[in-house]
Amino acid sequence: MKSFVSFVFASSFFTGSLVADTPEEHAKALLAPKEVPATELVGAASTEILDSFVRVNATIQTFNAGQPWQRNSPQRRSGLGTLISPTEILTAAEMVANQTYLELESADSSQSVQAEVVAIDYKANLALLSPVGEPGFLSEKTPLELGEPASIGDSVDVWQFENNGTTLKTTATIRAVDTSATFLSGYSFLTYILKGSMQSASSSFTLPATRDGKLLGVLTSYDSEDQISEIIAPEIVATFLKDARDGDYEGFPSLGCATQRTEDKSFREFLNLSPDGGGLYISKVKDDSPASKAGLQEGDVLLAIDGKEIDRRGFFDHPSYGPLTWTVLIRSDKSVGDTLNLRVLREGEFVELTATLEAPAPPLVPRHINDSPPPFLIKGGMVFQELSRAYLQAYGDKWTTRAPLTLMYAMENPEKYEESRDSIVFLARVLPNPATIGYDRLSAIIVNGANGQPVRNLTDLNNALSSSPENGIHTIELDDVPGTLYLDAAISDQVDQQFLQQGLPTLSRLPEVPETPEDAPVIQPTEEPNSGE
Amino acid sequence: MLKQLAILATLQLTPTLAQLAPPAEPVAATPAKPTPAATLFDSVFRIEVATQNPDYRTPWNAGGFSGGNGTGFLIGPNQILTNAHVVSNSRRILVTQRNSARKLPATITHIAHDCDLALISLDDPAPLAGLIHLPIGGMPELDSEVRAIGYPVGGDRLSVTRGIVSRIDFRAYAHSRADSHLIIQVDAAINPGNSGGPAIQGDKVIGVAFQGLTQADNTGYIIPTPVINRFLTDIKDGQYDKYVDLGVGTFPLFNPAMRKALGLPDNDKGVLVTNIIPEGPCDGFIEKNDILLAIDGSEIDSAGNIIVDGETLVLHEIVERKFAGDIVTLDVLRDGSQQTAEITLKPLPGAPIYTILYGERPEYIFYGGLVIQPLTLNSMSAHRLSDVTTRHLTANYLDKGIFKDRPEILVLTRVESDELTANMTGFSGAIINTINGEKVLDLKHAYKLLYETEQPEFTVLEFEDRGRPLAIPSGKVESVNERLMQTNNIPSHHYLGE
Repeated sequence: MKSFVSFVFASSFFTGSLVADTPEEHAKALLAPKEVPATELVGAASTEILDSFVRVNATIQTFNAGQPWQRNSPQRRSGLGTLISPTEILTAAEMVANQTYLELESADSSQSVQAEVVAIDYKANLALLSPVGEPGFLSEKTPLELGEPASIGDSVDVWQFENNGTTLKTTATIRAVDTSATFLSGYSFLTYILKGSMQSASSSFTLPATRDGKLLGVLTSYDSEDQISEIIAPEIVATFLKDARDGDYEGFPSLGCATQRTEDKSFREFLNLSPDGGGLYISKVKDDSPASKAGLQEGDVLLAIDGKEIDRRGFFDHPSYGPLTWTVLIRSDKSVGDTLNLRVLREGEFVELTATLEAPAPPLVPRHINDSPPPFLIKGGMVFQELSRAYLQAYGDKWTTRAPLTLMYAMENPEKYEESRDSIVFLARVLPNPATIGYDRLSAIIVNGANGQPVRNLTDLNNALSSSPENGIHTIELDDVPGTLYLDAAISDQVDQQFLQQGLPTLSRLPEVPETPEDAPVIQPTEEPNSGE
Repeated sequence: MLKQLAILATLQLTPTLAQLAPPAEPVAATPAKPTPAATLFDSVFRIEVATQNPDYRTPWNAGGFSGGNGTGFLIGPNQILTNAHVVSNSRRILVTQRNSARKLPATITHIAHDCDLALISLDDPAPLAGLIHLPIGGMPELDSEVRAIGYPVGGDRLSVTRGIVSRIDFRAYAHSRADSHLIIQVDAAINPGNSGGPAIQGDKVIGVAFQGLTQADNTGYIIPTPVINRFLTDIKDGQYDKYVDLGVGTFPLFNPAMRKALGLPDNDKGVLVTNIIPEGPCDGFIEKNDILLAIDGSEIDSAGNIIVDGETLVLHEIVERKFAGDIVTLDVLRDGSQQTAEITLKPLPGAPIYTILYGERPEYIFYGGLVIQPLTLNSMSAHRLSDVTTRHLTANYLDKGIFKDRPEILVLTRVESDELTANMTGFSGAIINTINGEKVLDLKHAYKLLYETEQPEFTVLEFEDRGRPLAIPSGKVESVNERLMQTNNIPSHHYLGE
């Protein structure tokens, strides 16, 4: 996919890190040139003003990856949301990720109501909020209708609030339509690219964009240098809302295969592909996925989806937007349960397949732990956790080389672990105490079993260690040196009680049943020429 | 080896080689005054080396030329001891005596990269006549005084610094990246150029100055005499055979619950065997979960230390002083019964992926724009191969016996762009599993499969983690080779070593 590496605004968004995502920093990023002819102050009396926007104030608290019983210090984040029905407010997912308290506020900050998240999609970067209890000042607001998809060249209005409550409107032009991952890396969605200069204002974290008085999408990034901004496209908003409003949010569907481009001439010859044609090479088909159920095989060449031909770089020709990545045919208008027709070249023969789209299965190593506290278990001072990408990312900027190799390998090769596990349980660290003499420096070792029981997840480990072992010693089987750990059951329990007395809030947080579908595993490799779906 | 790697991995401070000295500033000549120690000083030489460093990025190229200087000293008839790193990758070695302007050409007779020692000899030994051969002494006492003699930066003439023995330890030797041996830390200043010079106590050599720490003050390291003597004994048969290793990984047995579960008394003895390198000396004799109780009759404590002559040593030090073919006796506890195993020592299965190669021409194959090289520490660093797949393979190469199936791990290191390879992006750094469906063992095997076997219409390479194979229309390889080799000045489409 394309990437906006130079986006000042976007780059801090993508990190998902609160350190850089304070409203203040965004405000700085939004500093625009002094002369801003496209932005006009719209007085309260003006007829042009749309009275459908509210401030969304969130208190954000992430968890500490290394000390999962702790939350990091709270931070405030402030952005805008759009009222789309008397009790529904649309905003970006990153605005409310890891929130512990949400509030909707009037433009002049005089009135507010508490709010909750009704549906959230971190991949699409959208969230639907609703007031808790009485809607309060929201009942005086005018819900905005959803607009139709726009065309390249159309004008779009982007809305901001000044501190004093006045409304700012900036008119910008749709310059291109592309796909972009605006929050979580790896999943790109249909995005409008706008050209137009904006200025810094309060609550500028996410902004509504309208066209002809109807909601077009949510602005997620702005680059003050190029005056380019990105808007989540109305198709994505519509699919999200359709799914969210039926009560059970399933998420955008996936096909479950990895593809590679076929620009390599030698490879095209080898595959018997015509020199001037297109097609994507299927490099991996995930077990039990829609692709696998449809009969798609590794080595197939995907030529068309629903009659739309796919070129050698993976683009199809969208009737109004022009060339777009093929994943738009899956993650845009389609919902779980919809079908796709796939035309495939297999050993020189054309094959037609039909796939029924599903929400991706939860991956062995989840990509993010937004809103779900990281599970952990402390036994005799040994801290066990379930592996997540967020845990590895906590190793900092160079996490892919700094994080423990065995854990990185497990994340990149889930198929080697999947059969015997629901998650990767590992010994994260040892809190030194009299019972862990000789074990103090152990860390990042995957756990296979305990007291003779296989460990598929942290709950299994907790259950296995809750029983009283025969000789009073727990055994924990590890995937690596030293092989087996032995823990004196009685001493461990005493030690754990001491940890509680010393202020550790709890000895375990066992995994919750996920409420929203997780991401599909990333079918790597690390660089081009793959594109995953 | 396992333990040594672990030490390297946790090393916070990076030892730096006290090697390449910048060109020294000229100083005014003053007439030499004979001093009582003059004869000893006269046996310490300045060594000037011109090097040619192999280029593992473009393995067909000759490599870059540079140079440096160090120190060496006379220990026998025409035997000048210095550090391996002083003379590695050398194209020309010149020895200068004290108070002499003559640069005497010299040649390496033996070089041991694993313990950073080398012996060189003058092409014409006549100028050495009458000089004393510095005697090799024993281990110095902690806190005793030592002098470091050499030709470090800061001047052209001999320098003497003085300090005490601060510590005797078992530590990493930076030159090979993979070895740890006995080491003496001194607080005498040891600077670039001192490398290879003697550390003297009384009138005897107690070590060879060889490395320092960049982030600490007054920490110079010298190679002690047990390591020097081992090197000198090893080469007596005319060649250097390298260090031997038990090839077992151990885990300390401090934990009371662990001792109880393993049925061990609470006496702080023994370490747990956690892994055995396949085909290593202990394979077939020692088993995983055995408890090592003694080595050559010395009891092993729960930290893996032994006491020899009143001094605490790590158990590996017994093996350190032995040679290939020597026997070491291990007492082990297995399933509750004590057993004795006699282990015939041998070097570990070859692993250039752990140690830096010196003085060797890089091996490669060039095929239709594809450059294939064996994975070595040199090629990894030249091509910045640090992806998880490569690191995982190298981390498990010995322990999991990967070397048995793949004596060499082959990497597609470069794709030179031409007619056949124009859009093959994202393949550099890929580990090659098969060529035309056959598992590839090493570079010579790859050469046989590519150049000495009739090719199908498409030569197909499959990789460890790239999702798809590469296919090269084999009929066009010859003409593409010709063009690319001419453009890039590649003299041959392969170099497979000697």
